[in-house]
Amino acid sequence: MFEEPYRWVEAIQNRRDYLEEQLSGGSPVVALPYKEGILFATVGKGSAKLFEIYDLIALGGIGHPADLEKLRNVVLDISHVEGFNRSPGDVTIRRLMKFGLAPMVKQAFEEVLHAPYIVKILMAEINTITGKRLFFRLNYDGMFDEGDQGMILAGTAEMTRRMEAYFQTIKKKPVPTFEKTLQVALRTWTVSIVPPQANEKETGSLPDNDELDRLLKKHLKDHQIELALLDQAQAGSAKYRIPSQEEIKTGLKGWL
Amino acid sequence: MEKSSMNDGDFWSLLKGNGYRFAPASLSAGDGQGNALGPVTQGTTILSLKYQSGVLVAGDRRATAGTTVMHDRTDKVIDIDRHSVLAIAGVPATAFEIARVMEHTFKYYRRSQLQELSLEGKMRALSKLLKENIPMAMQGIGAVAPIYAAYDLQRKEGKIFFYDMLGAGFEGVEYSVSGSGSPAIRGVLHYQNRWGGETLAEMSEEKAIILTMRLLETAAEFDSATGGVNRESRLYPSIKLVTEAGVRDIPSEMLESLYTRQVTMNR
Repeated sequence: MFEEPYRWVEAIQNRRDYLEEQLSGGSPVVALPYKEGILFATVGKGSAKLFEIYDLIALGGIGHPADLEKLRNVVLDISHVEGFNRSPGDVTIRRLMKFGLAPMVKQAFEEVLHAPYIVKILMAEINTITGKRLFFRLNYDGMFDEGDQGMILAGTAEMTRRMEAYFQTIKKKPVPTFEKTLQVALRTWTVSIVPPQANEKETGSLPDNDELDRLLKKHLKDHQIELALLDQAQAGSAKYRIPSQEEIKTGLKGWL
Repeated sequence: MEKSSMNDGDFWSLLKGNGYRFAPASLSAGDGQGNALGPVTQGTTILSLKYQSGVLVAGDRRATAGTTVMHDRTDKVIDIDRHSVLAIAGVPATAFEIARVMEHTFKYYRRSQLQELSLEGKMRALSKLLKENIPMAMQGIGAVAPIYAAYDLQRKEGKIFFYDMLGAGFEGVEYSVSGSGSPAIRGVLHYQNRWGGETLAEMSEEKAIILTMRLLETAAEFDSATGGVNRESRLYPSIKLVTEAGVRDIPSEMLESLYTRQVTMNR
């Protein structure tokens, strides 16, 4: 059935269309560096999307929960065996992504007779020695990219472009504290629920912050904020933690 | 029945599936005293007691092999997770490996199952590791008798468990001691708790630390395998507090100050 190259390319394209459609409704995940570490933020009302992977590594994902669980478990297994056999410093997202997750996801995507992973993943780490923050983003086809200024994971390429366009307008400003970073992360997330405007591409215009805050406030009536931190200030070797409701309240005070 | 592919958070199985072996089943003949390999590193004093806010766990810093002092800066009280520590008495090679397996086991469980392993589950994990080690222990080169102390967040209280080398775990209601220097201080703890004016559980953090330093000094007086304080090198025991807030190390500056004022009495 797929012995002719054209058929195979067509099957891949069909699969791409299918995955794009499946992932288009996923709630984005925003991961940003801040003074004490890395903040992960999303908004939703379903199952959790942010997870602890290793001492200084966290993961956020969108897509089918069962696929996300499967890949999360793969990366947990690799990182813990590696951390035990060598050392926690040898567990890095670069290795986990390049030699673990990405080849596996690509293989599943290209095996057209088997189900692909309906999932996109964002991972971030704090380097054990230098403290440098690093972010990796994995697409459903195994493609990945990396950055050190924070990263956005959205269901579609267009959504990612819009959110990044907003983020570009503010990311040069210093965002050192948890509170300020939370505000930037949530406003960036809110761009994902702004209805597209006809002339947006030409003018680059997006709603101002007041409008974004109004939209987010309305959205939070039946959705919840989900946050996770890699917090270097936390005692012990494992730096992942979920901020308390009190911390979140303090972070939202005065603007939401 | 087909084996379920569910991840049950069992790091031990995962490790073994990846070719890990904790201990060989048997070694060539020894005399049960570790003499097949010559003297092995062991000998220590560790103790744990419940005080006002949780559990204090302490250990001296000396590692010996026969009559030789191998190291005087050994950390025998090891963080296992945010609310528990393992104090090790016995052969360090085995004890450190047990601590490493425990730390990874508990973290792996929490991360994969999205909940903490119960305290009973953690106790059981340590028992299993000690049982795996029986062949080594019986041949005299791997015996470990640790103390595991934790703060139970559900019951809101500190807990102390001590183990024999075969894996049997017992709860220390008020305190627990282990290691070659422990006989010298066990009676003192009983005396202090019964007739000392205030019970161990009533003691403040500072009083518990002072008592602990005095006890370790006593153990060092009667047991050559227990290291005392070396003020020139600013070498003090390892002392950790396990409370609702987590595990906290007592810094050497504080130990130095208390030692000078309350143990040597400025002598």
